Amino acid sequence: MEPRGDRQLRMPAGRVLVVMAIAFAVSALFNSEALVRAGEGMRPGPTRDIVLAVANPLDDAAGAIGLHLPREGLDLAFGQEDKTESGTQLELGSTSILRPRSERQSFRQPTAADPLDVLVTGDSQATFIGEQLVDQGPPGLLDVETVARNGTGLTNPAFFNWEVNARQEVEARDPDAIVMALGGNDGFNVQTGEGSLYNPGEKGWETEFARRVAVVSTVLSEGGKRPVYWVPPPTARNKEFNRIFASQNRAVARATEAVPTLRYVDVYSTLNKGRYSDELRIDGRRVLARQPDGIHFTLDGAALPARLILDAMAEDFPVLRDR
Amino acid sequence: MSFPTIEFAAFFVVVFVLSWALMPHPRAWRLFILAASYFFYGWIDWRWVLLLAGSSVVNTVAAQVIARSPSQATRKRALVAAVVFDLGLLCTFKYLGFFTSEFDDAFDSIGLGSPLPIAQVVLPIGISFFTFQAISYVVDVYRGETRASPLIEVAILQAFFPHLVAGPIVRANELLPQLRTPRDPRAVLAGPAIFMIVGGVLKKTVIADELARRVVDPVYNDPGAHSAGELTLAFYAFAAQIYCDFSGYTDMAIGLALLLGYQLPQNFDRPYLALSLRDFWRRWHMTLSRWLRDYLYIPLGGSRGGRLKTYRNVMITMLLGGLWHGASWTFLLWGGIHGGALSVERWVRERYEGFRMPAWAAWLVTFHVVCIAWVFFRAPDLGTAFDVLGGLGLSGPSPLVTLPVVFLVVVAVGIQALPPQWWRDAEAWFVARPVALQGVAVGAVLVVADAAVGQQGVAPFIYFQF
Repeated sequence: MEPRGDRQLRMPAGRVLVVMAIAFAVSALFNSEALVRAGEGMRPGPTRDIVLAVANPLDDAAGAIGLHLPREGLDLAFGQEDKTESGTQLELGSTSILRPRSERQSFRQPTAADPLDVLVTGDSQATFIGEQLVDQGPPGLLDVETVARNGTGLTNPAFFNWEVNARQEVEARDPDAIVMALGGNDGFNVQTGEGSLYNPGEKGWETEFARRVAVVSTVLSEGGKRPVYWVPPPTARNKEFNRIFASQNRAVARATEAVPTLRYVDVYSTLNKGRYSDELRIDGRRVLARQPDGIHFTLDGAALPARLILDAMAEDFPVLRDR
Repeated sequence: MSFPTIEFAAFFVVVFVLSWALMPHPRAWRLFILAASYFFYGWIDWRWVLLLAGSSVVNTVAAQVIARSPSQATRKRALVAAVVFDLGLLCTFKYLGFFTSEFDDAFDSIGLGSPLPIAQVVLPIGISFFTFQAISYVVDVYRGETRASPLIEVAILQAFFPHLVAGPIVRANELLPQLRTPRDPRAVLAGPAIFMIVGGVLKKTVIADELARRVVDPVYNDPGAHSAGELTLAFYAFAAQIYCDFSGYTDMAIGLALLLGYQLPQNFDRPYLALSLRDFWRRWHMTLSRWLRDYLYIPLGGSRGGRLKTYRNVMITMLLGGLWHGASWTFLLWGGIHGGALSVERWVRERYEGFRMPAWAAWLVTFHVVCIAWVFFRAPDLGTAFDVLGGLGLSGPSPLVTLPVVFLVVVAVGIQALPPQWWRDAEAWFVARPVALQGVAVGAVLVVADAAVGQQGVAPFIYFQF
């Protein structure tokens, strides 16, 4: 005979299924916008297609009857900012932003009493680079804050719009310099403001990518207020990724001609002379420099890009040369 | 596949329906649940399934030899072979890279160059957990505490998806008897199950991830850039984060298993209420503590060889427990602090028999020893750990010290003080509500959890890396 207390805690499996169905329906209705974003963020494939096929009409219906409101209130309560927006330059702007410009810039030099506030951001690659910037930088001259937005890139603004995020970040943090490590999730095709669609590897893709880099770095630098050190991905073990990353590196180099405060940090062709290797020699010691995915740096390996970034920073902040 | 994701929700609904539908047909059910578990595990990398299946085959064969052989020597050889295989698997994937690099450095320092290839090893998720279960299974068969089972049962014991990735570490005699008896679909322990799943989701998304994002990660990434007040908050916040992250995961695991009709052992029992370190280890990661006690501490001699040998055994057990988390000095020190504190506690208990600290003082000391040890657990290196500990205080501008963060830390610790009977009453109340209300309530919690997560997504569970 079962204890009476336990009986009070039991339900038939069928009823549990109904509870689950209602819970998922409620959650999907009130979270419909998030469901669409989650679908947009998935890799192309059947899971993404199914999620978007369900989420898009659900979101239209939920929006029409005002079911977005509770979620918007909760987002406000948790301090969440919307990272997508329609009509941004990132999606609709023209390539005129890529017209070469050159201006002289000078920046406040850091001191021990007033160190340089550095924001390290980008995708997951930013995490270890941020940590190594702390370790490799001259003591007391850098205050580094790392905010990695995992799984994001420039080619999928319906999931995460870097122009919107850049605006929010500089407004909230107002750093003296920004390091941007981004590109590992940008293997998707892109659509230009005029509606042309390009696949990675095509010339049009590279131009559109350069344009997006210029848009985001213009927002990050706030009209020349601070330098932006852009770190596209390094060489990859996978040949297909490697081809896309090479194209991204060329695009970032091109964008620097249009945005005077944008600096291209060339990790791609500098490390190991542009040849992929799991291991690298750092200070005479062989280290495992890459993670198993053949893209990300390990914590040890991130020391080298961090040093390249510091070299680039020292051009704008000469005091950083002594480290 | 991680629990709080769309993919897992879809997967679980299908498994829930088919599992109950196949329950009257044990053979079909076993094949189905094993296939579902392998699908769950292979979602990221299908090759891991081969590893897991290989481990099941080897341990099944060893257990059968142990059970059938009349020769004690053969039984022992089979046991040793299985344990060596299991530990070899664990060491290859978990420690090969570390030791190769350390030996290479040592050779290099004496002028022999770097002769060893640097190993790029992918650590299969959950390998520590399924390896420990495999060891406990063959040892239990050897000790006569459980009978040798057919391959399909051993495979399910290791692969059952609710506990596969991060525990609880289940012993054969806890799960196998349940597998042999069809569950009753009319009486699912839904009250505790739903509360554990929903509670686990909230612990992870609203508390653990929020604390990590708002204070713990920024402070541990660069302790030198933060004030004493922020370091102190991060000191307590990580204790709250790791509790909510890990217990949140195992709560979900236990709840999901309950919905399928299976009871897994508890893994946490309000650990931050502990009044001694010994008490803490009876409440924290209980299935690992139990494993270390039964398969390491007691075989080492336990407390049978006198005082000094007992201290030695405690230290060895805790140091190896630390190393189990990863090959680094920080984990070793974490284990060393616990081993040292447990030994001191034992010494005081034996030396000053009858001495009792006031409960509040005992709690304060225990909680702070645990928090100090957590600093080493969280810090990426010893330097960072000492920077955090050396900078603790209350001074300096502290923009990271906000009311919501302090509130979350207090809630994470304070919630453990609620009497268990309250939860039981709440579960019974919930079960008695109309089905629509139950569904809406659970749905509302999911909406809150998703809002807390925001666009950054759910962070990986801390214990996935172990």
